[in-house]
Amino acid sequence: MASQSDTGGGGLFAAVRRYRQTSGQQVSYRKNNLLGYVFIAPAMALYLTFNVWPIFRGFAMAFTDYRFVYPDTRWEFNGLSNFIKMVGDRRAMDAVGISLKYLAFVAPAMILIALLLAVMISKVKRGAGFYRWVVYLPAVLPVAVIFLMFGEMYGFQFGFINTVLRDWGVENPPNWLGDRTLALPSIGAAHIWMIFGFPTLLFLIGIYNIGSEMYEAASLDGANGWQQFRYLTAPLLKPTFALIVVLNLPLFGVVEPMLILNNGGPANSTRTLGLYLYQQAFEVGDLRLGYAAAISLVIGLISALIAGAIFRWSRQD
Amino acid sequence: MATEANARSIGEQAQSETDSQFFRLRVWLRQKDFFSHLLLAVVTFIVLLPLLWIISTSFKDRLEFSTNSASLIPSSFSLVNYMYMFEAIQQLPIYMRNSFILAAGVTLIQVFCSALAGYAFARMRFWGRDFIFIAIIVSMFVPRAGGLMALYELMTFLKLRNSILGLILLFAAGLPAAIFIMRQAFLAIPQEVEESAFIDGANWWQTFWRIALPLAASAMVIIGTLAFVGVWSDYIITYTMIDRDAQMTISVGIKKVLATSYESALSPRFRNQFAGEAADATMLLFSALPVIVIYALMQKWFMRGLTEGAIKF
Repeated sequence: MASQSDTGGGGLFAAVRRYRQTSGQQVSYRKNNLLGYVFIAPAMALYLTFNVWPIFRGFAMAFTDYRFVYPDTRWEFNGLSNFIKMVGDRRAMDAVGISLKYLAFVAPAMILIALLLAVMISKVKRGAGFYRWVVYLPAVLPVAVIFLMFGEMYGFQFGFINTVLRDWGVENPPNWLGDRTLALPSIGAAHIWMIFGFPTLLFLIGIYNIGSEMYEAASLDGANGWQQFRYLTAPLLKPTFALIVVLNLPLFGVVEPMLILNNGGPANSTRTLGLYLYQQAFEVGDLRLGYAAAISLVIGLISALIAGAIFRWSRQD
Repeated sequence: MATEANARSIGEQAQSETDSQFFRLRVWLRQKDFFSHLLLAVVTFIVLLPLLWIISTSFKDRLEFSTNSASLIPSSFSLVNYMYMFEAIQQLPIYMRNSFILAAGVTLIQVFCSALAGYAFARMRFWGRDFIFIAIIVSMFVPRAGGLMALYELMTFLKLRNSILGLILLFAAGLPAAIFIMRQAFLAIPQEVEESAFIDGANWWQTFWRIALPLAASAMVIIGTLAFVGVWSDYIITYTMIDRDAQMTISVGIKKVLATSYESALSPRFRNQFAGEAADATMLLFSALPVIVIYALMQKWFMRGLTEGAIKF
């Protein structure tokens, strides 16, 4: 990256120097072009204020007992007691389980679907552009529209799914979002619908990069479709796979679907860790930003651990 | 993929097959990737199904919805939901306007700031340039633990909660990927063009504004499109920073609006004419319409933006 940018700037300066040598004219040029700082100033001001500062402040907040309604508690450091409190917090621990369940359901299912679709799209000669368009369409829709739409579709009485099921002769269709065991997978299915497009495109790029020569060579050696996938596509897509898993780890801290649809109901069966921290921070009691930041840090650490394991695995053989 | 192996197996079957018509059909199926298309068609249908459902539901009146809610093609088209939406939902135009101001503001600021910074990182030499650039890229991958809580505190401190301007600044600050793409675009421009501008006596700003920027227009379109759609669709940050109706965006306010349609279904003006669910579907469709249209028109740019961002990292 550094060498590339050197050629970017250096080439221009070399050219200017050449120009000075040939023309003898004075070009206003300095080794340290202070105008560069002026050019990056607006971007840096925004970025430092709204993106970099919150990283440090959020980290510091995790070690305080900051409650928003009491401004004095802003910098009241309390060491690790937020984390100790979290371990003893039944609701937080239940939420960890729900979040892990959600991650373990949504991520593998989504990756499998994405891989399958990518392989199929890579095989068609015409219309691949259309399929790519369709696949990514859900990802651009507003997240609230998606989950409210699925909320309507899951509706017990007049929802699309249950109406169709009744038409097909199912007498007691399930109450998708009202049932304690079904609510989480139902939301997860909608979530998969929303986010499977990007991994599909990433897999597709990976397959396109393998190149048709490799597949032609493999088929000349007599490899059938499955063998081609097993011994050619799959191993070469391993880095893509690792990237996709890591990109989707934020699923562990999922908040938005629950916030939009049912606020953790029914009977707190969909109260994920992300939702629990959101409620602690912004909805209940004295707005415990400190405690919420600590939970958020735990989510980040668990995600980082999983990411590390995935990267180590993807480097093997 | 019509492979050699497949062709051979088809050839062997051809000898045993008396029905040459059937054989030709099979060859055709192989060549046209029929099965991939068939499976992809099913997937396409599943992906589009929820959208088709809200589109068709938006044209159903109360009777149609209660008797024929599963069918994707209404037997009689009714515009009652749309009439209700435009006449009775007072917040809708306010939310829509706010969303447009927000998304357009972020798009403009982000394109301008990232172009300026990208140009500096690509073409100017100043102390610490490479260090700053790499730090920006690396910081993208640092998880924002507690970020939302810190932002809440920051925005309150700056008196920028419940302010569209504040939200514009907050979203516009998500710059690293945009700077990266812009820098890449400027590096791709041959330097001779800019050099000749310098020779003609142009200064840095003129060279940037008149020469380099127009040549990097496609990168700016990519950044602008992704920014607009991303901001339009945001939920959690807007939800956290905006409490008041006057500053609410449609993507967050839609939930509030939906809750009113069941009560209004009984109000005198529209009594018993529409079903709450059908009105909901109409409003959901309406609030997503701008991004659907942009996505349909800007298809090429989306795919370029996504793949460029993904490959180059």
